[in-house]
This record gives sequence, structure tokens and C-alpha cells, in this order.
Amino acid sequence: MIAIVRSEWTKLRTTSVPWILTGIALVITGLFILLYFVTHGQTGGGPGEPGPGANFGMPHPGYPHTVQQLRDLLGRGLGAYIFSLLLGVLIITTEFRHKTVTTSFLATPRRSQFVIGKLIVAALTGALLACIILAVTVVGAGIAIAGEGGSFTALVGQLGAVAPGMILVYVLFALLGVGVGSLVTNQVAAIIICLGWFLILESIIELLWHWTAKWLPSGAASAAANVTAGRREATFGLFNWWQGSLLILAYGLVFAVIGSVVLARRDIT
Amino acid sequence: MTSAIEIRSLAKQFGSIRAVDDLSFEVAQGRVTGFLGPNGSGKTTTLRMLLGLVSVTEGTATFGGTRYIDLDHPIRHVGAALEATSFHPARRAEDHLKSVALAGGISLSRVDETLEMVGLTEVARRRVGKFSLGMRQRLQLATALLGDPEILILDEPANGLDPQGIQWLRTFIRNQAGLGHSVLVSSHLLSEMEETVDDVVIISQGKLVLQTTLADMAAQAGTGTGMRIRTPEVRRLTEALAAVPVGWRQIAVDTLVIDGATPEWFGPFAAHHQIVLYELINERGSLEDVFLRLTQGFDTEHPPGADGRSGQSAPFHTPGAPT
Repeated sequence: MIAIVRSEWTKLRTTSVPWILTGIALVITGLFILLYFVTHGQTGGGPGEPGPGANFGMPHPGYPHTVQQLRDLLGRGLGAYIFSLLLGVLIITTEFRHKTVTTSFLATPRRSQFVIGKLIVAALTGALLACIILAVTVVGAGIAIAGEGGSFTALVGQLGAVAPGMILVYVLFALLGVGVGSLVTNQVAAIIICLGWFLILESIIELLWHWTAKWLPSGAASAAANVTAGRREATFGLFNWWQGSLLILAYGLVFAVIGSVVLARRDIT
Repeated sequence: MTSAIEIRSLAKQFGSIRAVDDLSFEVAQGRVTGFLGPNGSGKTTTLRMLLGLVSVTEGTATFGGTRYIDLDHPIRHVGAALEATSFHPARRAEDHLKSVALAGGISLSRVDETLEMVGLTEVARRRVGKFSLGMRQRLQLATALLGDPEILILDEPANGLDPQGIQWLRTFIRNQAGLGHSVLVSSHLLSEMEETVDDVVIISQGKLVLQTTLADMAAQAGTGTGMRIRTPEVRRLTEALAAVPVGWRQIAVDTLVIDGATPEWFGPFAAHHQIVLYELINERGSLEDVFLRLTQGFDTEHPPGADGRSGQSAPFHTPGAPT
């Protein structure tokens, strides 16, 4: 199995698209952090903070300082889980797009082993992407807070609440991607389905039926990472972190299992 | 003789289409077997069932009784080159081979060795998307050779190759056989393969038409002869031929082809009628003629006998001696 994982990792790192996706995810995360400080500077309070009048004359720090503010700041990169999902989709659909699946199945004819290898590499990739994004967030946001006289230590102190959930979310979205890609092997179709769901359909469903928000993947992801503010679905109410984690785990595993079963039966013509 | 590959009553149903039907044949160990049939006759589907890529509807396809999926580290035993397009265009040739070697449990030192064998060492670091079709075919062969397998399966390896490439491929296949390896090579053109193969398996519309040795097939082609005669006395010759039960056609002002005639019959015949001859050529039917006759004229309701010599592969008409 280690040999198969090494083979899959070689396949992933020797093409350019995964690196490009990771780069885009980092740039977007950077923009999110920048946007946070720009908007909070204009309103005089962080998102989720009551207006200045509620402080009864107490000095109001101009930088994120409450627990939830710091967590939300650390989780600015959470939304980039869409790239973890896309990486998962690519890991499997690239094989079909370029017909390399024939060669892969010849070397690994037991398809369950092949899919497990893919899932492990996707999970590792998701975890790695989450760690890179968290590192960039901590450095970027930490410099910004320290520059305004805030506490870098307080920010890092909230890492324990955000990081495990965020890494879990990235891992499971990568597995979800492999599952979707195994079901819909056409690469373009699989990407359109993923983007269409997470960028358009999900928000429409949440707006029509608010109670669905916490049950949908995005809501579960926000809950799992303890990130509530600045996320659309958070306004409709969310599960707590472990409920969200279980739900996202269920989404990831169900799609991965269904995708694997379908892939195992597919004729490679 | 033991069999490297055994196909028994194999069938594949794609929806309403019977792509392969009750197909049985064997590939002998240490020999090169040509797997021949027109495009769409079920060759690729058969090979893909044998390799576990396509599910089997009925029957079995095994390597000495073991299914591909049940082989331990299959690419160490069976090397397959199925299509020249199955590469990621952005991946370098050596990275492609590395990923296959890792998955197949093969030493990475084989990567350089196989690149050397197919003459791609200089482009090892080049992205496959920049490769010509011939280079891709070679890389596909290198992939098949990674595990130093004793059985090679090549699907239409000559497609898209230039004449030098085909010559290289023939030498390559004969060398493999020289090492005692068994090779199953498919083609829709017998002429591409007739200098290379020992045995032939011919299928049409998913069914077996003929399994025989190339030597037997050549002998059969030899029976379908005619004589090409060039003579200044065409009119006298045709008048003489009118008296005997043979078919003939005129292909030039001074040239006739007489169906089924042999020199032993025609020589005395021409002497008897005192006809001057400029040229007398024994026309042997080519293997390709036999192949085309077997596959195109194949009638599913009247399959040939087990020896492949009856039915559509009916013997040629041989005229009796003149009376």
C-alpha cells in the first residue's frame, strides 16, 4: 500500500495543476485576510462585534481581540476548502481525462487498493494544504495585529480551536472530491458540479430553507472549524464543532465509498 | 506445448451488442501470436477482458489458469501496451515510468534501463505532450517492459509508426521471442505482421475465424494460385482455353491471368497448342488475400470448420487436366 501511495504522490507532484491550485488558494486566503483588516478598520469594530455605542465609554481596541474574532480571523482561509475539493476531483478525473487509468489499473488491478491509495494521497494533500494556509494566515494576520498593538500570542492561542477542525475539513473535502470524481469521471463535468454546488446551489437552498444550512457541507465545515462569523451559512445557525465534524465526516466517507464502488465496476474501454 | 494465455468461451455483452462471442484460443509459450481482425472485430475488448480492465460476461481469460487480477505483481509477469494516448501530457517520460514502477513493485533502476531499450534516454526529462506518436509508442513499450515480463501484449503497436518505426518494432518483437518470451500482438493488417508472427488468431465480429500457424496459412495461400501469361498470340490462346474448363481474364493487351492453373498443367498445354510465350509467372495468393477473404466474407451462419479450411475458407478451384 505504501508503494501505491508513493506512486500516486509521484503522479500528483509531477503535473502542474495541483501546484497552481495551491498557489491560487494561498493568494485568495491572503486577500481574505487583507479584506478583513480593511473592512474592520472602516467600521471601527470587528465583524460580530456590537457597535461602538455598546461599550459605555470603555476604550474599544481597534484590532480583533475577542475569542470569536480571533477564531474567525484564523479561519479566514477556511473557504479555500473548495481547492481541497478540486484537488480531490483532479486526483481521480485526471486519470480518465488522459486515459492514464488504463496504465494505473494494469499496475494495480485490485481497484479497491487503487482507490484507497488515491484517498490516502488526497487526505494527505488536503491536510498539507490546510497547514500551509493556516501558516500563511498566522503569519499574515499576526503581523497585522501586532502592527496595531494587539497580541500575537492571543491569536496563536486560538489555533487549537480552529486548526484541528480546519485540517479535518480540508481532508474530508479532498475525500469528497475523490468520491465525486469517481462517480463523474468527466473532469470538466465534475468540476462544474462541485463549483456549481458550493458557489451557487448551496446558497440558494439555504436562502429558501434556512434550517438546511447547518446540514449542508459548508455549514458543517464552518461548525467543525469553530468559524462562525463572516460565513454566509453561520447566520442561519450551526451545529457545534463535534456535530459539524461528524457530519462532514459522513459526507466525505459516503461519497468516497459510493465513488469507489462505482469505479470498481466500471469497464475501462 | 504449454499455453501462456488461455481464452475459453469468452463473451462480452455491451448493452445489446455482443462484442465478443464464444471466443476460445491459446497463445503458445515462447511464440509470437498475431491477433488479427478488422477494426471493431473485438480484439481490443478481448485484450481488455484478459487484463481485467473490462468485466467478463461469460467464459474465462487467464494466464496459465490465473486471472490477471490474481497475479502477484502482475506487471512483473505481463507487460501490456494498449494505446499510445494514455499519458499525462505535462508529465516527464521518466516520471511516468517511475509512477508505474512504484505501483508495480519494480526497482526504479528499471526506468533508465527500459528507456535505454526503446531508445528514449535522451528525452527522458521531456514532457510527454511534446512527444511524436512514434515516441509515445516507444514509451508505451517501455512501460510494458518495466517489469521484465515473460508475456507481452501489444494492441495495434504499429499504428501511426513510419516504415522505420515498423521495422524497429518487428526487430523488437522478434528479439522478445528470442528471449523466450510470449508475445500476443494485435493488428488489423496482416501484412504488418506476417514477417513477425509465428501463429495467427483471426477473429471477425467477435468470433474466432481461424487459429493456425503462419506456415499453414501461407501454404493455404499458396493453393490459391493462378498463372500470369504474356504472349503475342492472345487470340490463339483464348481459343485454346475455350476448350478446357478454366476461368481466365485479360489484364493487358498481351497478358492473361488463368485461374488456378499450375505450370505443370499449363506448360504442356501451351506446347500442345504451339503457342509462343514471352512470360509465364506463377501467381501465388498473398496472405493478405486470405486474411481479407476470411474476415470480410465471414458468414456468421456458416462458420468454417475447426481446421479453418472449410466454409468460407473453401479451397480454390483447380481445373482438371485438358482432355
